Amino acid sequence: MSLLEVEGLRTGYGALPVLQGISFSVEEGETAVIFGLNGAGKTTTVNCLAGVLPVWGGEVRFDGKKISGKDAPGIVRAGVALSPEGRRVWPGLSVLKNLELGAWVRKDRHEVAGTIAQVFGYFPRLDERKDQLAGTLSGGEQQMLAIGRAIMSRPRLLMIDEASLGLSPKLAQTVFQVVSQINDDGTTVIIVEQNVGVLPYADQALIMEKGALTFDGRGAELEESGELRRTYLGEAAAAAH
Amino acid sequence: MLMALDVVAPALSGAIQGAVYGLLGLGLVLLYKSNRVFNFAQAEFGTSAAFAVLFADNGTGPLPNLPLPLAVVFGLLVATGLGLLTERLVVRPLFSAPKVTLVVATAGVTLLLISVQGFLAGAEPSVLQPLFAGDVFDTGSVRVTRQQLVIVLVLVVLAAASALFFSRTRTGTAIIAVSQEPTATSLVGISVTRTSSLTWGLAGLLGGIAGILLSGSTGFVSPGSLTGLALIPAFTAAVFGGITSLPGAFLGGVVIGVVEALAQSNIPKDVLPGSGRVVLFVALLSVLLIRPAGLLGKEA
Repeated sequence: MSLLEVEGLRTGYGALPVLQGISFSVEEGETAVIFGLNGAGKTTTVNCLAGVLPVWGGEVRFDGKKISGKDAPGIVRAGVALSPEGRRVWPGLSVLKNLELGAWVRKDRHEVAGTIAQVFGYFPRLDERKDQLAGTLSGGEQQMLAIGRAIMSRPRLLMIDEASLGLSPKLAQTVFQVVSQINDDGTTVIIVEQNVGVLPYADQALIMEKGALTFDGRGAELEESGELRRTYLGEAAAAAH
Repeated sequence: MLMALDVVAPALSGAIQGAVYGLLGLGLVLLYKSNRVFNFAQAEFGTSAAFAVLFADNGTGPLPNLPLPLAVVFGLLVATGLGLLTERLVVRPLFSAPKVTLVVATAGVTLLLISVQGFLAGAEPSVLQPLFAGDVFDTGSVRVTRQQLVIVLVLVVLAAASALFFSRTRTGTAIIAVSQEPTATSLVGISVTRTSSLTWGLAGLLGGIAGILLSGSTGFVSPGSLTGLALIPAFTAAVFGGITSLPGAFLGGVVIGVVEALAQSNIPKDVLPGSGRVVLFVALLSVLLIRPAGLLGKEA
């Protein structure tokens, strides 16, 4: 049984449908990367999985239990966390308060300090700036904080939307390496990305176009298939290659 | 010339009146801090609470004739309930609407509450006894009643408690988080709707405390009385103190009360009619020009 099973998922904004009924699954302990151009439906997918958007149709199961229909707090309690697009840290709260609030659903309050130490281990820069207001951090630091805050609930599945958006190539690689380390430490990861630099870290790769999945396979298969080239550069470029 | 100014007595009475403004301002700051909304209904939560105390104390209509302490508890429950109802029926359906829509909606709640008060009690003022009778001291020119002293003490305690609530408790931090990033807040498992209910319930309670104490101090309550007497100065106090600072609401209230009273006592009416309010707004504009975030505010 896969950790996450998505069947015929449909959703949208207002009356506008975006996801056309997508199905995929993610195995426990793996890193899945969802690629696609702007407007392909990647963010809509993870927002729907996280309970930010309502499920119009289909079903989502996590660890065998249905989570579609739960609200965002219910899904966090089930063990799924999202680091959202645009980071969305609380700008007027300190780095430490951001992390502490990330542990809101946890009952083991005495172990929260240990998780904060773990986050500081992944991102030493956050430790240096723990008393600084989150709104004064750089874009890269805010990305680290958003990921760290999502880890604070100790999720079994961590979803990161646009992990590298707005970051320098070097900083993006650093973030990918840390995410890989988080995965090695036992957390299943879904990354939404446009940056193909994440591909070496992907066990599973998915490509979305116009609200539908056009590729679902192993990361290595995608590298060889030329599907990414077709998605990002078009049919002609793929044929020339 | 300076010796001719009447300072001590108006400063003292102004500080006490300012405490009422601050008390009402606390609820305004609480809602602005958490929802980024100016709540025009805040004063009417207070007037409604004062009417509820009056009705319960007199045993009006279906209500039993309650002893005053229980009538006060009833009044506070009514104010808290009004805060919760406003959140559920007005604020929550407008969560995604522009803030200005929500502000106008709270003005609508004010008008509705004033109408209901008028329907139940009539337009004439009703006499409301002070909760605490007697004077602390009376020198002839300066008089401080026990009720006034209680108002000041309650304001100090509530301002300190509210500030601690926001800086030291998880729930207080969660309320601030909702105001800054509601989506991120729900993504960590905090219920935005429950937090909103809590905030409006607390605002209702604070309004109720202000209304019961102020109406007891003035000795009367009438439909819309707290809006007429204290809403504008309370808004001014909240902005003056720094609209997101709870201790600022306290400080702003006292400063506004003193400035208003000094102007009223020292500027003849034939020179400047309504001098208290005029000077108050001049002072407010001056602070906003020099320090836009207010006296204790951190956010512009």
